[in-house]
Amino acid sequence: MIRSYLPALVFVVLGSGVGIAFAVLNGLLGRKRAVAAKSDPYECGLPSDVQNGFRFGISFYLIAMLFILFDIEVLFLYPVAIQLEAFGVFALVETIIFVVLLMVAFVYVWRRGALEWK
Amino acid sequence: MNAILAATVKTPDIDWGALGPLIALTVGACVVLMTGLLRSPAARTNLVPALATLTLIVAGALAIGQWDSNADVLEEALRMDNLALAMTVLFCFAGVLTVALSLRDLAPRDAGHGEYYALLLVAVMGMVVLASAQNLVTVFLGFEVLSIPLYVLCATHLSSEGSLESGLKYLIIGSVGSACLLYGLALLYGATGATDFDAIAQAVGGGEIRGDVLFLSALALILTGLAFKASVAPFHQWTPDVYEGAPTPVTAFMAVATKAAALAIIVRLFDVAVVGAVDDWAPAMAALAVITMLVGNVGAIGQSSVKRMLAYSSVAQAGYMLVGVIVSTRLGVQALTFYLVAYVLMNMAAFAVIVARERETGLGDDISALRGLGAERPTLAWPITIAMLALAGFPATMGFWGKIYLIDAAVDNGWAWLGVAIVLGSSLSLVYYLRVVAAVWMPSLESSVAVAARPAGARPIMAGASPEADDVADTRAGAVPAGGDTPTASTARGTHEERTDADIGDGRDPSGRDRAADRDHVGRDHRHVHQPEVVLVAVACAAAVLLLGVFPDPLFDVARDVGEAFGNFD
Repeated sequence: MIRSYLPALVFVVLGSGVGIAFAVLNGLLGRKRAVAAKSDPYECGLPSDVQNGFRFGISFYLIAMLFILFDIEVLFLYPVAIQLEAFGVFALVETIIFVVLLMVAFVYVWRRGALEWK
Repeated sequence: MNAILAATVKTPDIDWGALGPLIALTVGACVVLMTGLLRSPAARTNLVPALATLTLIVAGALAIGQWDSNADVLEEALRMDNLALAMTVLFCFAGVLTVALSLRDLAPRDAGHGEYYALLLVAVMGMVVLASAQNLVTVFLGFEVLSIPLYVLCATHLSSEGSLESGLKYLIIGSVGSACLLYGLALLYGATGATDFDAIAQAVGGGEIRGDVLFLSALALILTGLAFKASVAPFHQWTPDVYEGAPTPVTAFMAVATKAAALAIIVRLFDVAVVGAVDDWAPAMAALAVITMLVGNVGAIGQSSVKRMLAYSSVAQAGYMLVGVIVSTRLGVQALTFYLVAYVLMNMAAFAVIVARERETGLGDDISALRGLGAERPTLAWPITIAMLALAGFPATMGFWGKIYLIDAAVDNGWAWLGVAIVLGSSLSLVYYLRVVAAVWMPSLESSVAVAARPAGARPIMAGASPEADDVADTRAGAVPAGGDTPTASTARGTHEERTDADIGDGRDPSGRDRAADRDHVGRDHRHVHQPEVVLVAVACAAAVLLLGVFPDPLFDVARDVGEAFGNFD
C-alpha cells in the first residue's frame, strides 16, 4: 500500500527541491537592482504596502463574489440543456426548483442592497 | 437522431413523501428569508418567528407521519429510518424552543430577523440530512449545511465582541474538523471503493482490509472530524469559548441539536458502515469516551460562568453517549436515542433559565445571577434545579433512566468498565451541578441580613460595609478563586464584562464584580422582564424531564422502535 505512494513521494520531494533551489539560486546569483515597480506584486490590484488608515471598497468584492456565485450556478444548467430530451419532465421539474432557489437568493441580495454601488 | 441524443437517462426515483421534512424546511427557510425583507417591522419581528415555528412543526409532523416506514431515499443517499425520524423530530423540537428563546433576544435584531431564523432552519435541515445520511457524500453535505449556518448564528449578536469572537473561533476550528472529516471520507472511499454505507459494510465484512493502514487512518480521521462537532475531548477546546460568546439561544441550540446530529451520524457510520471492524475502532473510541468524561467533568468544576459550566458538562455527556456507540449493539443504539432525548430536554430547561436571568439581572450567565432564585422566582428555580439533578442522573428524572440504559448496554456487551466510568463521572459531576442548585436555593448571607433589616427594594445597609459578608459572597459566586488562576477563566471574565456593558445600557460599570453583586441585590426587582415564553420553555422542559423520568415507558417504546429498525445487528 505504501509502495503505491512512492511516485507521489518522489513528486513531492523533487517539486519542493527544485522550487527551493530556484529561490535560493536566484537570491545568490541574480543581480540586485532597486526599481519601484519590482516591489509591486502585479501591474494592477492593490498596492502591496498599505498604510494603517488605508481603505478599500468592499463593494468590489461583494459584486465579484456575487458574480462568481450566480455565474457558477448557471453553469449547472448546461448539462441539462444538452440532454434535455433524454431527461424529459424530470429535467423541467429540477430546473424549475433550481431556478426558484436562485431567484430567492437573487431577490434577497437585491432587496438587501448588495447590488447597489456604495 | 444519433445514439447519444436518443439515450434515455435513468432519472432517480424520488420519494417525495419521505423527503417531506427536508422539503418543508427548505421551503420554510426561503419563505422566512423573503418575509424578513418586508418593510413593516411588525412583520419582521412577529411573522418571521411564527413562520419559522410553523415550518419546524410541519417538518416534525411530516417526520412523525412516516414513523416505521424506514424508507431509502434518493438512490440510498438518505435513509429515513426510525433513528433519522426520531432525530428529525428532536431537531425540530429544539428548533421551536430556540425560536421561543430568541424572540426577545438582541441577536435577531442585530443580524436581521429573516436571516437569523432562516439560518436556524437551514441548520436544522443540515442536521436532518446528516442524521439520515447513508452515503459518504451525503455525510459531508449534511455536515457542512449544518455547520456553516451555525458559524454565522454564533456571530449574530453583532454589537457584542464576544459573539463575533465566538463565531470566528467556531469557524476556524470547525473548518479544521471539516477538513479532517473530508480527508477521512476520501481515505475510506480509497480503502473500500464505495461511498454507500451498505457497500462499505460489505467491503469491511469481507475482512481483507481489516488492519489496512489506509482504512485505519480513514477511521481515525473521520472520528476526529466528527469528534470536533460532538465536542469529544481532546477536540473539545472550542466548546467553552464558543458556547460562552454565542447568543444564549444559539448556544442552547448548538449544545443540544448539533450534538444529537453528530452522535446520530457517528452511530450510523460506525455501527452500520464499519461495524465489521469494531475490534479496531472500539478500543480507541472507548479511550476517547473516558478521556471525554474526565475532561468534561473536571473542567466544569472551576467555572463561574454557567454557560461555560454547561459547555464542559456537554463534553462530559458526549462521553457518556459515546458508550452507546462503542458497544455496537441494538441496545446501545436504543440507550443512545433515549439519552439524546433526555439530554435535549434537560439542557433546554437549563438554558431557558439562563436566558431569563441574563435579561433580568445584567450579570450575564455568571452563577451569581442565579443566587436567591429559589425565594424570588420559583418558576425559574424549579426548572434549573430539576435540570441540574437530571443531568447529574438523579432518580425520578430522565437523566437517571438514560444513564441506567447506557450502563445496561455497556455491561450487556462486555464493556462493564465503561459503565463504571459513567458512574464515576456522574458522581464527579455532582460537584458542579449541586453548586448551581445551592446557589439557587441557599440565601446569601447579605441578602438574609438585608431582608431582615430593610424594606424590599431599598439598598441593603450591610452590603459593602462588612468585609466578611463580601468574602462570603465572593466565594459563593465562585469567581474569585478561579479568576486569577487560569488564562481561560480570565478571558472569560473579560468577555463577560464586555457583554454586560454592551447589553445593559444602564449598568455601564467597569469596576467589576463587587459593584455587580450590589447591583444584583438592589436591581433585581427593578429589572423584571416580561418573558412568559422563556419561562414556559423552562417549565415545560423540566416537567417533561420529571414526567418521563417517572413514566419512561413511552420513550422506551420509541427507543425500541429506533433500535429495531436500525442497522443489521444479529
